[in-house]
Amino acid sequence: MGKQDRDFKAVGTRPLRPDGVEKVTGRAKFGADLSAPGMLVGRFLRSPHAHARIRSIDTSKAAALPGVKAVVTGDSFDITKVSSGNHDTLANVMARDKALYEGHAVAAIAAISVSIARKALKLIEVDYEVLPHVTDVDEAMAADAPLLHENMFTANLTPKPTKPSNIANFYEFGHGDIEAGFAKADVIIERSFKTAATHQGYIEPHACLANMTQDGQGELWCCTQGHFMVRNVCADLMGMEISKLRVTASEIGGGFGGKTTVFIDPVALMLSKLAGKPVKIVMSREEVFKASGPTSSTSMRIKIGATNDGRLTACEGEFNYQGGAYADSPVQFGAMSAFACYDLEHVKTVGYDVAANRPKNVAYRAPGAPMAAFAVESVMAEMADRLGLDQLEFRLKNAATEGTRSSYGPTYNSVGLTETIKAAQSHDHYSAPLGANQGRGIASGFWFNFGGQTAVSLNVQEDGTVNVTVGTPDIGGSRASMGLMVAEELGIEYDNIRCIIADTSSLGYNDVTDGSRTTFSSGLALINAAKDAKAKMCARAARIWDIPAEAVEWKDGCVQPAGANAGEFEPMSFAEIAANADNTGGPIAGHHEINASGAGVSFGTHMVDVEVDPDTGYVKILRYTVVQDAGKAVHPAYVEGQYQGGAVQGIGWALNEEYIYGEDGRLQNAGFLDYRMPVASDLPMIDTVIVEVPNPGHPYGVRGVGETSIVPPMAAIANAVSQAAGVRMTELPMSPPRVLKAMDDAKGG
Amino acid sequence: MVKVMLWGSLAALAEGKPELEIEAKNIKQLLQRLAEDHPGLKPVLEKGVSVSIDGMMYNDAWFEEISSENEICILPRIEGG
Amino acid sequence: MRFEAPTSLNAAIELLENEAGVVRILAGGTDVLVQLRSGQVEPDLIVDIKRIEAMQTITEEDGGFRIGAAVCGAELGGHAGVCKLWPGVVEAVELIGSTQVQGRATMVGNLCNASPAADSVPAMVAAGATARVTGPEGSRDIPVEKIATGPGQTSLGRAELVESVYLPARGVHSSDAYLRFIPRTEMDIAVVGAGISIEMDGNGICTHARVALGAVGPRVMLVEDAATALIGTSIDEAALEALAQAASSAATPIDDKRGTVDFRIKVAGVLARRAAIIAVQRSRVD
Repeated sequence: MGKQDRDFKAVGTRPLRPDGVEKVTGRAKFGADLSAPGMLVGRFLRSPHAHARIRSIDTSKAAALPGVKAVVTGDSFDITKVSSGNHDTLANVMARDKALYEGHAVAAIAAISVSIARKALKLIEVDYEVLPHVTDVDEAMAADAPLLHENMFTANLTPKPTKPSNIANFYEFGHGDIEAGFAKADVIIERSFKTAATHQGYIEPHACLANMTQDGQGELWCCTQGHFMVRNVCADLMGMEISKLRVTASEIGGGFGGKTTVFIDPVALMLSKLAGKPVKIVMSREEVFKASGPTSSTSMRIKIGATNDGRLTACEGEFNYQGGAYADSPVQFGAMSAFACYDLEHVKTVGYDVAANRPKNVAYRAPGAPMAAFAVESVMAEMADRLGLDQLEFRLKNAATEGTRSSYGPTYNSVGLTETIKAAQSHDHYSAPLGANQGRGIASGFWFNFGGQTAVSLNVQEDGTVNVTVGTPDIGGSRASMGLMVAEELGIEYDNIRCIIADTSSLGYNDVTDGSRTTFSSGLALINAAKDAKAKMCARAARIWDIPAEAVEWKDGCVQPAGANAGEFEPMSFAEIAANADNTGGPIAGHHEINASGAGVSFGTHMVDVEVDPDTGYVKILRYTVVQDAGKAVHPAYVEGQYQGGAVQGIGWALNEEYIYGEDGRLQNAGFLDYRMPVASDLPMIDTVIVEVPNPGHPYGVRGVGETSIVPPMAAIANAVSQAAGVRMTELPMSPPRVLKAMDDAKGG
Repeated sequence: MVKVMLWGSLAALAEGKPELEIEAKNIKQLLQRLAEDHPGLKPVLEKGVSVSIDGMMYNDAWFEEISSENEICILPRIEGG
Repeated sequence: MRFEAPTSLNAAIELLENEAGVVRILAGGTDVLVQLRSGQVEPDLIVDIKRIEAMQTITEEDGGFRIGAAVCGAELGGHAGVCKLWPGVVEAVELIGSTQVQGRATMVGNLCNASPAADSVPAMVAAGATARVTGPEGSRDIPVEKIATGPGQTSLGRAELVESVYLPARGVHSSDAYLRFIPRTEMDIAVVGAGISIEMDGNGICTHARVALGAVGPRVMLVEDAATALIGTSIDEAALEALAQAASSAATPIDDKRGTVDFRIKVAGVLARRAAIIAVQRSRVD
């Protein structure tokens, strides 16, 4: 169902990725791999306190230490020249009046060696006035909570609050009459949930090499999901013209949303400017945990009503998301996406975006949606059990389809939720038997996907090969997908196309690689750039034949005469036209710049089997199947990789990952030993099923696939664990102590 | 005239009306008139919103045409990871 | 910071004796290097003992084995004799870190790091292993459970080091086992650890037992009540239940990022019981 009629030649095949050999042989250059002559090392001094007023910073002793070449504090940046939209970013990069979390940068130095840098940091004297702190979301919302920002008044709340609080934003979504909906219900289930903050856990720490010269020009090499964003933000913070800063994106060892902002880059640039030498900064893993951008911890309440025959009558949700020191939680997306899977007459969600003494939140893969789905799909599973209905049937009965008004407002056009549920039903996983202490969990999930600003370039070389230039860092194999789409459009071999990520001076502005946008948007732009090049090549061939340009057509990678001239000349190959570029008008290139729209939403349905050790609460993942709509899988192997990666991150989030704070407001597990991400031996092979319901907004039907896969896992696993353990789990992570306690409490009555 | 749906808490800032009628031919005019007619919306619109036209999401797309035939929703600016 | 790699034990002791500042002994370095990099310790002198030949060997001695301080996990795991005599000790050592770490990490280093969660230590304590401590005054042999005095603290005197650990001989129907609880499957640190060594007579009655627990107190503990629960029984269901209860009762854990008090108390009993079952099975195979 939903298959396209179109026959694809290149799209849908599984060639090797162009960056593979470099990566497996260790030659790919990541953020920390570049060096420059005379390079200095940059290091940060960070707040040991969760919340403290900075009375003064004395850097004179550090600056006087031989080998120290520059010192930066908050005062080094002129905030009056920085646009208001970047004030929080600047304050996060280098604390100004207050340190708002443990690990908040308060000063930085550049020195000729690591040991001198370490010594120098110890010579910086900071006079702190330690303030009461708050890290828990519910406590931060309390009326008497320590206040992070005296000027934070809840936005979008009517009437306007008269007192400041830690609640930065209020959101409400939905339609219908929620009370009338619940009145129609035969069964109503209401439950509260909590989830811990998690980190994206990318393997590569943030790293950069900055080089500011005395004439005010700058170069920056860094590991990021969006170097154009880095350029614009850094130029603003540094008071530079945008065109004078050239940023090059390194290969990237994972981002998952966490590399969509800046932490160290502006500081490296400022240190370089003050020192007059290149400065390299590489974050330690501890710094990554304490001072990059994890996602929200949450507290949620869900209420669902249904009739005895399994039709949802009303859905309600309250979402409180802790958004870090500056309240940057993605709660609006949680509240929008929570019930997006279902066809609902009456739905209402509210969201509160809450500041707390924790690192500034940054996006994490489908930001905000996984936690909301955990809560909603847990209640959905409980409802299906209560009604005696099959889990998938119950979801199918209420699934959103084309024409459904979504819970966040718009009416869906073509969507593939039903298809994923049906594919799950017919998968042998769904009917496989379960043993003792085992459980099976089901959950569906949704993500919006996004398009955005994109500029690409395509250059035809004289030997008939093609260089493709995009501005979206490749974090999931997108260079291979770009090559496939260009091969499809031009009708040439994939191996004759090489795609690179250009620096910020080589292309127009490109939005960050986020929102599952890159294969969709850069692909869309490249298809148009290829069409641009093809039109030029048709014109060249027509001139060679001396016939009108309209009298030729493109077929199978060749130009051939058409209409009245059909058959008059032998088709001219791509390579032949390319070889004659010099005599026919010079280099042949295609370009395209767009603000892409039409990204199709994506749904997925996950199934997981677990076994719970009744004596220890240990959860083993036995089997896992991801079913998701890709619209059209350009490179199916990397689509499967995205599905598997989302499931694995979700498994970590569900079972053991969490930010653990002490009474002192300090993070206790800032390392991979105690921030327990799954290791390979914890996981079964993650099975995948690619469903293809074409996106009407893309010529090949492509939908973004990178984010939806992390939405259902926590709910699916919670449902499986709850079944196996015989008690409903409502708090993440479902670590062994928590599962064991829940089982013991349930037994104790 | 086009009909525009506002998300819940945004509607509260527009005198509590979840649906508004606006004279506009494209997104630029729509956002401009919304801010003029309902000053309470101005800060939110200035911070940036997404506009959904028949289920398709648009950010920063002034010239996208709209008519009474379209379903138009103002939504928080869509981002991702 | 000075780095020295002496080739004799005497030279190593002399270096330790002559340094007034902070000293760290480097065997595999899998703890010391982490502490160095994180800035937890800034030593004035590092003494690498890997070049001392005697410390790199496993030698048979009175039916048991003497394991040099610089013998790494991979070497121990590859030694057929030790694997046969003390499989529980070997499995405990092999749980430390990854394959790569096994090529560096040493059992003696694990002992001297004095972590209450050290994997090899409960197994060594259960085995009745002794440590040979050598310093300026000469050598002495002490039970391994006397090495750690608290987290990161040892009973070693100034300029003393552990030269080797001796795993004793044992009877025919005997074996040992070590189990730890971690929320993952590898690359983790014990939330609870349990080492058990048993000896049975020809009639299947337990004549000797030692039970040790890790990560449920400030140091690895030998639990005599748990051993008593097994001795004189056929290690039947009732004995296992008594063992589990004795282990849980002995546990004095703390709440921390790795686990709760209640969890550790319960799981101490669960692991002791499971380890005992494995040890019994192994004693029969022999």
